[in-house]
Amino acid sequence: MARYILRRIVYMVITLFIIASVTFFLMKMLPGSPLKAEDKLTEEQKQLVLESYGLNDPVPVQYVRYLGNLLKGDLGISYNFDNTPVSDILIDRLGPSMQLGLYAVLVGTFFGIILGLIAAIFHNGFWDYTSTIIAVLGTSIPSFVFAGLLQYIFAVELGWFPVALWGEPKHMILPIIALAIGPMATAARFVRTEMIEVKGSNYIITAKAKGLSNLERVWKHGFRNALIPLVTVMGPMMINLMTGSMVIEKIFAIPGIGEQFVTSVVVNDYPTIMGTTLIYAFGFILILLVIDLLYGLIDPRIRVTGGGK
Amino acid sequence: MDQKNVNNLPKELFKPLVRKEDTSEKISRPSRTFGQNARRTLFKNIPAMISLVVLILIIIMSIIGPFMNKYGSNDQNLDHAKMPPRVPGLEKVSWLGFDGTLSDELTGATVEQATQKAYMRFNNEEDYIDIKVISDGDGSPNSAEIKATYHIYKAKGLEDTYYWLGTDQLGRDQWTRLWEGTRVSLIIAFVAALLDLVIGVAYGGISGYYGGRVDNVMQRIIEILSGIPSLVVILLMMLILKPGMTSIIIALVITGWTGMARIVRGEVLKLKSQEFVLAAKTLGTSDGKIIRKHLIPNISGIIIVNTMFTIPSAVFFEAFLSFIGLGIAPPKASLGSLIDIGFDNMQIYPYMLVFPAALLSIIMIAFNILGDGLRDAFDPKMHK
Amino acid sequence: MRTKKWSILLVAVLVVSMVLAACGGGKDEGSTKNSSGEDAAKAEEQVLNFINGDYIPSMDPSKVTDEYGFQFVGATMEGLYRLGEDGEIKEGIAKGEPEVSEDGLTWTFKLREDAKWSNGDPVTAHDFVYSWQRAVKPETKSEYGPYMMAGVIKNADEISKGELPVEELGVKAIDDYTLEVQLANPTPYFESLTTFGTFMPLNQKFVEEHGENFATSEATLLFNGPFKLDIKDDNQNITQANEWKLVKNEDYWDADTVQLEEINFVVSKDPQTNVNLYNEGDIDRADLSADLVDQYISHDDYRIVPQASVFYLKMNQERKGEQTPLANKNIRNAINNAIDREALVNVLNNGSIAATGLIPKDFVTVPGGGDFREENGDFAAYDKDTALEAWNKGLEELGVDSIELELLTDDAEGATKTFNENLAHQLETNLPGLKVNIKPVPFKNRLQLDTDQDYELQVAGWGPDYLDPFTFLSLFVTDGGNNKMGYSNAEYDQLISETQTTTDQEQRYQKFLEAEKILLEESGIAPLYQRARSQLHSPKIQGEIINKFGATYEWKWAYVAE
Repeated sequence: MARYILRRIVYMVITLFIIASVTFFLMKMLPGSPLKAEDKLTEEQKQLVLESYGLNDPVPVQYVRYLGNLLKGDLGISYNFDNTPVSDILIDRLGPSMQLGLYAVLVGTFFGIILGLIAAIFHNGFWDYTSTIIAVLGTSIPSFVFAGLLQYIFAVELGWFPVALWGEPKHMILPIIALAIGPMATAARFVRTEMIEVKGSNYIITAKAKGLSNLERVWKHGFRNALIPLVTVMGPMMINLMTGSMVIEKIFAIPGIGEQFVTSVVVNDYPTIMGTTLIYAFGFILILLVIDLLYGLIDPRIRVTGGGK
Repeated sequence: MDQKNVNNLPKELFKPLVRKEDTSEKISRPSRTFGQNARRTLFKNIPAMISLVVLILIIIMSIIGPFMNKYGSNDQNLDHAKMPPRVPGLEKVSWLGFDGTLSDELTGATVEQATQKAYMRFNNEEDYIDIKVISDGDGSPNSAEIKATYHIYKAKGLEDTYYWLGTDQLGRDQWTRLWEGTRVSLIIAFVAALLDLVIGVAYGGISGYYGGRVDNVMQRIIEILSGIPSLVVILLMMLILKPGMTSIIIALVITGWTGMARIVRGEVLKLKSQEFVLAAKTLGTSDGKIIRKHLIPNISGIIIVNTMFTIPSAVFFEAFLSFIGLGIAPPKASLGSLIDIGFDNMQIYPYMLVFPAALLSIIMIAFNILGDGLRDAFDPKMHK
Repeated sequence: MRTKKWSILLVAVLVVSMVLAACGGGKDEGSTKNSSGEDAAKAEEQVLNFINGDYIPSMDPSKVTDEYGFQFVGATMEGLYRLGEDGEIKEGIAKGEPEVSEDGLTWTFKLREDAKWSNGDPVTAHDFVYSWQRAVKPETKSEYGPYMMAGVIKNADEISKGELPVEELGVKAIDDYTLEVQLANPTPYFESLTTFGTFMPLNQKFVEEHGENFATSEATLLFNGPFKLDIKDDNQNITQANEWKLVKNEDYWDADTVQLEEINFVVSKDPQTNVNLYNEGDIDRADLSADLVDQYISHDDYRIVPQASVFYLKMNQERKGEQTPLANKNIRNAINNAIDREALVNVLNNGSIAATGLIPKDFVTVPGGGDFREENGDFAAYDKDTALEAWNKGLEELGVDSIELELLTDDAEGATKTFNENLAHQLETNLPGLKVNIKPVPFKNRLQLDTDQDYELQVAGWGPDYLDPFTFLSLFVTDGGNNKMGYSNAEYDQLISETQTTTDQEQRYQKFLEAEKILLEESGIAPLYQRARSQLHSPKIQGEIINKFGATYEWKWAYVAE
């Protein structure tokens, strides 16, 4: 186990290193510089600005320094925000996004499981089709359209929730729903498939033979076994969330990292783009690792050991 | 039935069994190949078949749709901007929303004031605006409410003109743009999925078949690649490449193939240790032939299914990119760029959003259901 | 100032909330139109709630470059003068009119003695000397310092290039409350310049004490203006705050005039969201995107705010050292005449008007005459036949029968996108054989490509930095920093440089008129439109001033009406 974790951590570091390098060189290929209104600067000043960002050195030197700073947790200074370290930006913006993402996963998974169960219990019945359609709609309606509709219906027309902004719990409800729809659909589809498979397995048939009711069978035997593999779809769910958060944070005026990333892309704030990319990658890899470990923990049949399969 | 009776069965009921060579070995069901079985299962799956038909229709429409009326996809006519949908025949049925009118509810202190607002809202074409009073109001602000219906086609003297799905802000026919956009979106999705397939199968196949050190190295590469959040890479690629279809495809493929490669590798690993492969090897069949004749046919099911799920996610990513402004270059349209425009007009010209968004959803749903159906079809357990 | 097309519009949605007492139907309406609004009764609670379209990128007066930076520097600080209604110069830290020498080169300002920094220190002439020197010296890396001061203040140009020590800058404190400025050229608009963010004074002791951290958080800011910036967390980086407020500065010398107690800001970028917030009464102003205008044009609170930013088509005559077809005057004229600007502003749908020249309408008045724009007339007529004629002649001269051009634009959203599509379509339809490829890139990338002169056609915009035609017309002198399209005309250069030394205003303006005529008659650029913004604006905001340059809104005299 320890060896496995160690190996995974080594890969994590390699992955991060590659991402850091690739983003670094990609950014070097792009036009743009920290100069805000280039035409206004004198040559003298331009040199000073470039120097202060270390852009006068040859690219390999910049690269080594960038990696060195990374180790120290220094992601550089934003091109867009005067004198602001990228790490400060990320720390400030990460909070709301993580809160939102976490709740969305929890809420989405919870309702997804319920939907999936309903579908499985009433397999091929009316409720099955209804919940499947809801789930498929959830994956097919772009979350930004959904967010706009939610805002219009529940905030503007009905006035039940605030239109936008951030800070109080009531502000979180609509964005969470908008964001949770993806994880919900994923979870629902997954639970349904697993449950139907489990339903046909021998031990459930045994349980049926013992005279357990449909509900008891589903709850006591089927559910737990169907739930375990759900952990494996958490990865794709996170991707879904990232996509969603980029536009939903804008629509609901949430000071989050997704919105910040899109803005940085538009204003060529390269240090922030690189920093955000690394944070995303780091979070993503970490989640994948945790999922793998969790999977090993909750399902004793799968032993996480060194070596491939 | 009780025990006694069983014991007391009369002897005459027992007859000797006549052994017949032909019946004992007779296969009660017609012999079918795996492919035939899969097809049969699929054809019996009604939702999947409906999805298939819908998709074929959509593909056909994306080819012929733009030619079904006289408007080109970039024929701008500002005088005809923001016209609501109007379809011959259906225009008589007002609740369908194809009657070519715009309507809005307005409020004011008095009915007159609200009416004035309605005139202002609709180009002051008083003769062509129907006013329906909802509440008379008592003189206090916004107490009076009216519903104004504006016959824009009549007002512009276009009684004989029909924009089936309305027009956008530049007076371009939405029907034409919708199908052209669908075509662009589908081409992006199909090409991206195809490239994913080719790269993924080749990579996964080689990795799985040769195993050992080759597999080890190749798997490490995949492991590292899949740690990279695809969305971020796609955004970065879009920054570097010129906006356009090719760029979107490249951006999608650059991370997309790893999923396919993993699945193919897993299957190949499983298959290659099975007896029939072993037998082929023992008989001296070449590697290439084993891969072609034995492995590929056995994993084709899972490849097809996986591709079916890649296509809608590519459609979706394209829509997302266009929505945040990094997608297709104007004046070309894609479903994503149409939705982007529609989203900005959601409250006032809902038709600009409804059609592309609905079509996108239908495409996504259809591919998902068809994918599910295919998965079932390729699953021998489901064959009956 | 570079004008970023749409985002600015999305931005400046201000709003007031609180008192839902927007009850004033008929009565208030009259006074809404009247921004001085003497007749409107003052509300009990002097609080406004606005939306800001983005975070504040910088609060260091020497370093701000963008709309929001200037907005909040302007609200919290005060220079020698302040802009009042219609660009009228109001007293700031300076008392009364400056004394100007015969030759117009030496200006002496008397400063008021009751002006204080928010830490209690008096605001003195030394603060101006320090600040201006700081803005000019290269080490500060100020982008606006040298740009605004070079050619205006004596030696600023040389200092910014590192050729002279910063002490040589033509500004000195005669005593604590007398400031003497030596100008490089007689600059008649110098007073209006001093209202600009870059010219704000700075307390040397305070700035040096905080060093690198100056102006990064509330704790490292010092104010001398009508308002103080207040962020919940004193040590939070200003650039990271998504909520902040302006509170009345009781130490401000003219605090009695300031009526607003508090203005709250929160960052929100989506126009539809902002309008929804406005309708809910959460905010007191919301800017409308073109798509929203149709819906809200009949709203009681709808208004159009004209601006002095002009957008035009840059036609690059030399790309990567090679002549483009646009070096041909007939081709350029054809393009200029082939654009139907009325149709374009129709697409923009936000109150923007067709531009007929480089200098915007209602910007400056020609001495002894009318509005500059009216005096110089219309240079951007839409005339298909003339265009076609010039086009064919141009093609013949070039010996080709078709041309493909790249149109560089921002990848901004909404109406800008359709605007570009319509522009390209118009050109292609009116000029047979022309193919226009739209190339949308992020705003910053466009600036970079502009600097590299790597484009053919480009939609660009410019907003004034001071109240003088020079801010626009100096753009296109040969090899000028903002020319970047290979435009060169000796006569034009001569006229522009003469305006810097001419003291007689009437003659000076004659040269400006002449220069604009030269530029536009050979279609150096093709004017497109003069921008306006459409917004929903709460009638309870009274006395607010909208500036043509610098800080967009001035709240010193604003108050909340019943």
